[in-house]
Amino acid sequence: MGRSTGKWFWLVFICILLPVVAVAETVYETQTEFLERAFGGPPPAPGIAWLSGERKQNVQKILGHDYPALRVRYWCRNGRSAWSLEEIGKDLPITVGIVIVNNYIENLRVLTYRENRGGEVATPSFTEQFNGSGLNERGALDTAIDGITGATLSVRALTRLAEVALFLHSDVGCHDGS
Amino acid sequence: MGRKKARASRTRRLHRSLGAGAAVFILFMALSGIAINHARSLGLDQHHVSQSFLLSWYGIDEPAQIHSVLVGDGWLSFTGAHVYFNGKYLSPLTGGVGAINNADLIIAAGSHELLLIDRAGRLIERSAWNRQDSGSIESIGLLENGLTVIKSDGSFWMADAELLQWRPLDHTFAVQTWSEWTGEPDEISQAITTHYRGTSLSMEQLFLDLHSGRIFGTAGTLVYDLLALVVGFLAISGVVLWFRGQRNGKKKHSHKH
Repeated sequence: MGRSTGKWFWLVFICILLPVVAVAETVYETQTEFLERAFGGPPPAPGIAWLSGERKQNVQKILGHDYPALRVRYWCRNGRSAWSLEEIGKDLPITVGIVIVNNYIENLRVLTYRENRGGEVATPSFTEQFNGSGLNERGALDTAIDGITGATLSVRALTRLAEVALFLHSDVGCHDGS
Repeated sequence: MGRKKARASRTRRLHRSLGAGAAVFILFMALSGIAINHARSLGLDQHHVSQSFLLSWYGIDEPAQIHSVLVGDGWLSFTGAHVYFNGKYLSPLTGGVGAINNADLIIAAGSHELLLIDRAGRLIERSAWNRQDSGSIESIGLLENGLTVIKSDGSFWMADAELLQWRPLDHTFAVQTWSEWTGEPDEISQAITTHYRGTSLSMEQLFLDLHSGRIFGTAGTLVYDLLALVVGFLAISGVVLWFRGQRNGKKKHSHKH
């Protein structure tokens, strides 16, 4: 009985296993949906923030490396701005939509998640932590963000993008009347 | 008394048999667990699997198809969900449709995204294409006036020079050229294949999948669950056997006296 049980386990182990690899891109919200939500209807015309000179250096300081593109598109109306930014979590870029109102984050949402682990950062219970955050005098988030075990790099990526968006909001001069 | 002895003997046999079988599993779990705990210091997250059979097991074969376009003097190649410029990895992009060369810009189109690239192969911007009044991108081309045109869901859209705004076009415009695939040089396809296979699977991922059983799919996870139950049984049967041994030892000891 015992001997046959042991053999049975190994037989099952070898015979019925099939390789399944799930590497998928998850789109939680399209850019159009994000912008309509951010502005409660059609968004304003987009602006372009070129990442060059001092702006590039500041973004590099926040991220620890260059932003993966040379320019960033944004939408601004009366002190409310919307940003669609991306940063590599571990291997692939995470696209994040961030809405800022008068230098504070109103909402942050993962738009597209491409990594095959760490997707917990897209859950509202995590992203809601960013609501109401601004930058402190050192240029870092003034709110402590609780991490997620097993998603450290994705958490770090989202935190850095929140800081970049807050910096750019102020740097491009998106304020009331603009 | 005889029945008790038979039961004890059966438990012992089962304990030995399962224990011997599970020993390899326990040892493997212990070693892979240590490796995962120290993945960063061991550099497992930076090293990639290059063994052909492992990559094939994961379904990471040579890219099924490489579609390339000659844009200016550079080759833009699409494979799977990735774009390469002159054989060098550029960015993820799903559903590659084509690319055009517009003045100093290269514009690569995926099914739902556009990439703006400079002549040196640097990404300028990733721009989403998700117009509610249109579907996915079918083709990308250049108008005679040098502006970019997109065909989507049978309708046509023209971009401004900065590629910021799109407006619909009627059918009276003249397209200078639509992007078409061209066979890339061998050295480009070889560089892409090497990169594609060589960076798809990190050692850390492999260890994690081996440790969890996910490398064998759902069935693997279930078998690992079963083996975990066997380990649990071994712990309990070990305690039971030890306890009986203690009790029998005491009895023998008291009989002697």
